[in-house]
Amino acid sequence: MFGGKGGLGKTTFSAAAAYYLAKQGKRVLVFSVDPQASLSDIFKKDIFGKGPTEIMPNLYAQEIDADRRVKEYQQEIRQKILDMYGMDSIPEEIESYIQAAAAEPAMEESAIFDEVVDIVVHGGYDYYIYDLVPLGHALYYLSMASVYDEWIDKITGLRQQMREYDQVAAVIRQEKELDEDAILNELLYIKERINKSSSILTDKQKTAFFFVVTAEEMIINDTIKAAELFAKFDVPMSGYIINRVLPSTLKDQHIPEYLKNRLTMQEHYLKVIDEVFKGQILALVPEMERDVTGLQMIEKIANSMFY
Amino acid sequence: MNSVVVLILGLIVFFVGYRFYAKYVDTKIMKSDPKRVTPAKMYMDGVDFMPTSKNILFGYQFKSIAGAAPIIGPIIAIQWGWLPALIWILAGAFFIGWVQDYSTAMIAMRKDGASLGGLSHKLISPRARIILLAFLYFYLLLIAGAFGNVVVSTAIGLKAAPIAWLFLTIGGVLAGQMIYKWKKDIILTTVVTVVIALVGIWLGTVAPSDKIIGASLANSRWLWTIAAFVFCYFAAVLPIWRFALPINYVASYIVFLGLFFGIIGIFILHPNFTLPAYTNFSIKIGPLWPIMFVTIACGAISGWHSLVSTSGTARQLENELDARPVGGGVMFVEMMLALFALIIAGTIYASSAEYGAAIAKGPGAIFAAGVSKFLGVLGLPAETGRSYGSVMMIVLAVTIMQLVIRFMRIATSELLSDISPIFRNAHVGTFIASILGMILVLTGWWQYLWVLFGGANQLMASLALMLVTAYLMSEGKPAAYAFYPMIFMFVTTVAALTYTSYNLLLKVFTGAVKGEALIGNTLMGFVGIFLVLAALVLAAEGFKAFKRYKLMRTPVAGAKT
Amino acid sequence: MSEDEKKKGGFFQAVKEFVYGVAAHDSARFALKTRASMEHLFILITMGDMLGVPILPPYYSLRLLPYVVPQISTWKRRMLREKDLTDALA
Repeated sequence: MFGGKGGLGKTTFSAAAAYYLAKQGKRVLVFSVDPQASLSDIFKKDIFGKGPTEIMPNLYAQEIDADRRVKEYQQEIRQKILDMYGMDSIPEEIESYIQAAAAEPAMEESAIFDEVVDIVVHGGYDYYIYDLVPLGHALYYLSMASVYDEWIDKITGLRQQMREYDQVAAVIRQEKELDEDAILNELLYIKERINKSSSILTDKQKTAFFFVVTAEEMIINDTIKAAELFAKFDVPMSGYIINRVLPSTLKDQHIPEYLKNRLTMQEHYLKVIDEVFKGQILALVPEMERDVTGLQMIEKIANSMFY
Repeated sequence: MNSVVVLILGLIVFFVGYRFYAKYVDTKIMKSDPKRVTPAKMYMDGVDFMPTSKNILFGYQFKSIAGAAPIIGPIIAIQWGWLPALIWILAGAFFIGWVQDYSTAMIAMRKDGASLGGLSHKLISPRARIILLAFLYFYLLLIAGAFGNVVVSTAIGLKAAPIAWLFLTIGGVLAGQMIYKWKKDIILTTVVTVVIALVGIWLGTVAPSDKIIGASLANSRWLWTIAAFVFCYFAAVLPIWRFALPINYVASYIVFLGLFFGIIGIFILHPNFTLPAYTNFSIKIGPLWPIMFVTIACGAISGWHSLVSTSGTARQLENELDARPVGGGVMFVEMMLALFALIIAGTIYASSAEYGAAIAKGPGAIFAAGVSKFLGVLGLPAETGRSYGSVMMIVLAVTIMQLVIRFMRIATSELLSDISPIFRNAHVGTFIASILGMILVLTGWWQYLWVLFGGANQLMASLALMLVTAYLMSEGKPAAYAFYPMIFMFVTTVAALTYTSYNLLLKVFTGAVKGEALIGNTLMGFVGIFLVLAALVLAAEGFKAFKRYKLMRTPVAGAKT
Repeated sequence: MSEDEKKKGGFFQAVKEFVYGVAAHDSARFALKTRASMEHLFILITMGDMLGVPILPPYYSLRLLPYVVPQISTWKRRMLREKDLTDALA
């Protein structure tokens, strides 16, 4: 997983890492939920909302269309209601609830993570590379996961108590066995999904989480804060990748004054980064001479990441 | 007169009343319609609204209304002679009793399953609801006091009763565990726990209370008052399935087995009435009118039933046609129960003097003696029969009592929680209700307490009939069948309450009573006065509503009728 | 109990129902009542959004929605129904 503030090159690194692993002969799926479709840009191929698409041998990319996912989900629920009760149309108050629920911001996050769980549970790849949405979402989701988990436990407890009373009524009326409580099963399913999705984010054995930083004060500060939060939620931090490093050799060449200043600044912040994230810096990736799009450029990045 | 004649008279009144009068009202006035969707069906939520078959509701309604009152009333009222009591039971049930039970169920159904509070709000005025709720609280208090007294006098009068009562409680608590915790087969549970209760009844004769705890404790009013209210306290505060419900469950078998075999016993023995048909117009508790008419409350007419009919039954009836058997039919069954009690009181004593000595100890002993006699015909030893009768009396009283304490707790939180949130606490409400009830039991003379309870109960009925009248008028239907009973009940009960309260307070102000009786008289007197005032205000509100309905209807009614 | 069974049982069935009504109906009713009020609590927790009280994430509450469709309207009505002491009496 690659995370960090927007625009720092998460997508680039995700693609590069995928590329590298694919070259090593592993089946890799790189996916993102970025509605801006940056994976499509980087691979120069429109894959938005199209499911896993082969980019090159062993390398598959997928961009989740959260919006569509929500819509499909709504439709699924509607269909279920119609089937369960043999209705011709959804009652108005139910329909308006379905609509209102979909408009909630949390809806999209949940839908995204649900899809991620789907992807990972579905299997078929050796590696999954997840280009995280801007950090806030992931953190929000993680923070809610434990709360939800508790809620589900409470609700499940409530359902079980209800079942007790059902049984009591059945005992008094000498009725036979009761039907299974479909809701109880549904709750257990939800609990499992929530646990699964948060465990995907926090499984130390299988998950590696990389932060992308650049040598700028604001970015560093934000990253420190984010890292603390991630640590709190047990996200296994695997290291930091520093992007857009200007080659220090430039300094001795004839360059404009402002670039020189930038270099001095960079030197200073690289030192800061070195101190703060001591021993966790995995790679310094230089600023490229052009936009990173297409497999060639990806390969170049991959090289500077892994060698 | 022979007791079987009384039962046959009762059956005739039952038949004519149910088959003709009730049928007429049901089809011609209320126009019950099997096609109309009842609230139970329309609003079915599995909580309050639950469509239920009429046979089940018949049993449910009977269990809910047949408390100690239909039994105790006639036992006390026979002091005026059995004939006035008999006439009042038959006429009351025929003209007023079923009318109220049936009609309140019906109007609650027609008004979306509204409860009495909701009905008075809708049909009379918002203020009527508030007054009704305050009225209810003191009405409930009087029930707690009057029934508490029955429990106490029975526990003292019959030394077998405490052990039998204890075993029934144990059986009940066990039933709760077996049903709700262990989910055992219900038949097994029933057999085991009923047997425990029966063993207790037998054990009571072997180990009477004075042998176990000594005569002075066994005769202590304090002890049994506290026992009764601790019992109610548990019932009000513990989860209902742990205590109140399963005890009622076991008790209902004991009670109805006793009644069933007791009635068979009456037929076998068919004794003659030994007490005089008529004694005096005025006796110690007061004149025949109005006091006897409130002494026999349930059995002739009872306001309590309107609570059951509206909040309970009306929300479960699945067909409007079922209102007549469930609301009306059950009232006639209750009338038979009152006749049963009248027969007991009127036939088992050789003379008025013997009866007089027995009644001084309280109605429980008389009832137990009767049960013993009629079960004895079937082979039950007299002592065991007496024990059986005593526990019947106690549970009949105490099941209603604990319900009442529970309601008073809810009422406290509803009426007073705006003043301080402390009144929302279950213990606080229960405590207040229990203390007030205990004071009444310990300080009031039980026959006055009974008259006040009966008065409040019948006044409640009159108010329920007022709601029925208001409904009928608002619908432009003929209201006479409810209106005249209402007027009769109102005048009678206001007179009875005023008379009794006046007597009580007169003794207080002239210094004729001291100590405990001073407290009891004062409390009972003021409660009585309060009930009368509340009823008068409600009546004024009611008549305003009647006028309104009349005005609204005049042009239309003139054209239509 | 189906209509057929009722007819077959006749008098015996009626007596059985009466005894059930006397002894057990209250207990069974209480159990079902408690259960149903829990059901309503459950709906409040999961579908609270409908009354403006969001508790469970909507994504998952939608999953549960189909199962509670029949209860929703009674639930809303009960939540909004005015109540007083006399409602608690039976």
